[in-house]
Amino acid sequence: MNDWDAFSAALAAALRLVWLVPVLPLFAAVLIALLLLAARGCGDSGERLSAALASGTLLGALVVLAVVDLAALLGVAPGHLVAADWLRIGRVPVRVSFALDAYSLPAATLIALVAWITVRFSTRYLHREAGFSRFFLGLALFAGGMLLIALSGNAVMTFVGWELAGFSSWLLVGYAWERPAATASAQFVFVTNRVGDAGFLLGIGLAVWSAGTLEWAWLAGDGTMATVTARLLAAGFVLAALVKSAQLPFTPWITRALEGPTPSSAIFYGSLMVHAGVYLLCRMQDLLLMVPDLLLVIALIGLSTAFYAALCASVQSDVKSALIYPTLAQVGLMLVFCGLGLFWIAALHAGLHAAWRVVQFLLAPAWLNLARRPARPVPRWLAGRRWLYTAALQRLWIENLVYSLLIRPTLALGRDLQAFDAQFIDPLIGTPVDDSHPSRSVVAGGLPHRPGLAGWALTAVARRLEDVEGQLLMSGDGALERVLRRTAGYAGTVEALLEQPRYLMLMVMATFAVIL
Amino acid sequence: MLRALLLLPLFGAGLLALVPARRVDLLRQLASLAAGATLVCSLLLLVAFDPDSGAIQFFETRPWNPRVGAHFALGLDGVSLPMVLLATLLCFLAIACSTGVRTGAKLYFSLLLVLESALLVVFSARDWSLFYVAWELTLIPLFFLIDRLGGAHRHRAALNFVLYTLGGSVFLLIALLLLYDVAPGHSFAMADMAAGGAQLPARTQVLVFLGLLVGFGVKMPIVPLHGWLPLAHVEAPSPVSILLSGVLLKMGAYGLIRAAWTLPAAALAMQDWLALLALASLIHGAVLAWRQTDLKAMIAYSSISHMGVVLLGIAALNHAGLSGAMTQMVAHGLVAGLLFLLVGLLYERTHSRELAAYRSLHASAPRFAALIAFALLAAVGLPGGAGFVAEVQVLIGAYGRWGGWLLFASLGMLISAAYALRAIRCVWSGPGRAVRTGISGGSSRIDDLKRSEYAAAGLLAVGIVGIGVCPSPLLALMTTSLSRLVSQLAV
Repeated sequence: MNDWDAFSAALAAALRLVWLVPVLPLFAAVLIALLLLAARGCGDSGERLSAALASGTLLGALVVLAVVDLAALLGVAPGHLVAADWLRIGRVPVRVSFALDAYSLPAATLIALVAWITVRFSTRYLHREAGFSRFFLGLALFAGGMLLIALSGNAVMTFVGWELAGFSSWLLVGYAWERPAATASAQFVFVTNRVGDAGFLLGIGLAVWSAGTLEWAWLAGDGTMATVTARLLAAGFVLAALVKSAQLPFTPWITRALEGPTPSSAIFYGSLMVHAGVYLLCRMQDLLLMVPDLLLVIALIGLSTAFYAALCASVQSDVKSALIYPTLAQVGLMLVFCGLGLFWIAALHAGLHAAWRVVQFLLAPAWLNLARRPARPVPRWLAGRRWLYTAALQRLWIENLVYSLLIRPTLALGRDLQAFDAQFIDPLIGTPVDDSHPSRSVVAGGLPHRPGLAGWALTAVARRLEDVEGQLLMSGDGALERVLRRTAGYAGTVEALLEQPRYLMLMVMATFAVIL
Repeated sequence: MLRALLLLPLFGAGLLALVPARRVDLLRQLASLAAGATLVCSLLLLVAFDPDSGAIQFFETRPWNPRVGAHFALGLDGVSLPMVLLATLLCFLAIACSTGVRTGAKLYFSLLLVLESALLVVFSARDWSLFYVAWELTLIPLFFLIDRLGGAHRHRAALNFVLYTLGGSVFLLIALLLLYDVAPGHSFAMADMAAGGAQLPARTQVLVFLGLLVGFGVKMPIVPLHGWLPLAHVEAPSPVSILLSGVLLKMGAYGLIRAAWTLPAAALAMQDWLALLALASLIHGAVLAWRQTDLKAMIAYSSISHMGVVLLGIAALNHAGLSGAMTQMVAHGLVAGLLFLLVGLLYERTHSRELAAYRSLHASAPRFAALIAFALLAAVGLPGGAGFVAEVQVLIGAYGRWGGWLLFASLGMLISAAYALRAIRCVWSGPGRAVRTGISGGSSRIDDLKRSEYAAAGLLAVGIVGIGVCPSPLLALMTTSLSRLVSQLAV
């Protein structure tokens, strides 16, 4: 009995080490980056070193996780563990906290396992590729980010993991830097993901003000939160989840993301990252259950994505696309479960599906060797309906829609703003003389070209005064004319001096007059 | 100690006058030494500073012009100390990295040191007259720095810069004189002016605040008043660009925080308008940055966007927002400093600032490419960088006031991701160097960073990551002073 107590005490002490799980792969990523910067990550030895770093740290994370799992199974683990304070925003502390419950621990273990297997697989798959170390850098970053998403106990830590996953996905989609298509896809993927990030950040902001906490466990509050607030709060996070899981309006990014090397597609889109959205929904289920209408929306989006993906899946001709669409369809079904409130089924489905898809994706390059019979043709019901077939081939034109609805208007806005700057603000405030045309500065009146509104006003007043002056001179005799001419000479000097800081001084005087 | 901090750069400038003008390297080393000593001095101040006290520390005052009630009053608190540290660090780096300056080096280094002194006085002045004089004093060295050593359109840029700022400072002066008129005992001391401002009727307070806003808004810049910035940043020599965007812009934001301190009621009344201007700056800067093909112009426009974030934080007028604004000022100082440093070094090597000229940079200069990618990503606000900590705080602070309107701020974030990634993509991909040599006829390789340049860039990068991972020391430095400010605003 005494032994047993000592054992559980040791387990409980080991729980304090749970922060190592996400930190270990991130540490490997930092080391690989330093090696790359020191130009030591090249060649066979560098290859071995970075692969060993990535797989070693992931194995370490897996071992720590196994200990934590054991503690949780024996009932020693608390559901929520606070490791440290990170920063304090107003009165709300942002903690380094971990959730250790029935959702997070299996997910984290699966993530570490899949990531470790993928690292082992890619050591051979990418042998002597140019960007070997860079690939492992991305993979280690990604594993760290995903583990952080799974284990973190509050929204900010999850967001950090969320961004790390997005960033490493950008790194790996653009793995082949030389090809413009790859970098264009990488950019597309990252920018689409930023839409979700914006939703996530808005959710965090609202959580501070309405729930007063950032911890997932207490986000739902004590049930006194107004439905409108809860709906807004949940909507931000749901948007982030939909983007990450590539649900309907946002599906195009995931097909573009297949540009990366196969092992990264396997781990990112086939198996892990695509389920991150489902996991996030499970994490905030208490909050979601308070807003049934949002649940309905989630279920509808999941259902329509499932149909859409099934339709597109039946016409794909390359193996990766043929795998990604069924994946999307399954994720859509998981969202339907979430929408029905059956979060544990969704989580179970996600876990099983992730394990299965990673095998399929890793085998995809060898498909021609493995397959005994040719691929099935397009099903007859689809082949007969030409418009439906075209729609499926074009993936329902979603990408073109995004282009014409979002990207083109922003480009146009940019053009308009620049025109606004050049056509309106510059003439109004005036631009000084251009160096390249000094001769143009001595146009009539001595004012530089494009003198601005104030400058034009000054010119007009000067012209009017000149007219008056001329009339005075016409009527006066010689003496007056001499005096006037002398004064005009002084005035001219003063005016020339005034013209140096020009119209701004005029504005100053105008202001003096107005305020005093 | 504070006096030593302010006098050291001036002393260095005096020392430079004794060195013959042709010994450029000696000049640079001496100037770096002076700037380095100033940096050490500011670090010593940091050690001696007590963050738990919200009062003004190292306070010293002596009558300057007793007849008008002007004092030579200096002091630091949690708002000004981070700015002083940022200024000394960036000045040191800017001077140490000016290896490209060969002609007119004597004038250049002396002016930089005078500029540093003026900047430090602005951040440590406790008297509005001293503040104003130092504020104007920064213009003179900058005018000559841009006008003598800038790019092709330097005359225009320098004139534009000075005219804009002078125009703004006139409003500033009028506002200050109005305040002086009602201050008890006719004094320019900041505390007295604040006491006087509180007695003014609300409408007059708003008018005075508007004057201050125009003055500081030109420097910051806030959108309709930003005309000088792109030109000045692009034309200025790169070390000066580091100071322009790293420290000079912060002067505006710092002044605005002081203005809110002086006239809390007016700041509260103007809150919504400030937020509107902030969102306009944020989106305007980001969209225009997206259109630029000149890397320096892109960074200049992105500065407008980032200062929009600062303004949004200030406009929130609560603890989270102000703390976020201060963090963003430090973060942007470091990030923009790093970016301008790298672009300047690249320009020395390629004599082109077009993005297209940097295609496939990673093949010949991997450290350059990696650091540029790092700096751009930090500018976007990825977690792990200082910008993230700042943006989260600003968003949370502003969320308390405006809720769903912040969707526009998210739009700015989205566009900022787009332009940063486009630049990274250009640096990392595209056709190789062969095409570029066809255009410019330059050498086919770009030399990678030298060791000293690497150290300078690395220092900034470590600062960015350090604040991003462990922000609490910086936040602890400012929190007491900000709490005092916020408690004033709550009245």
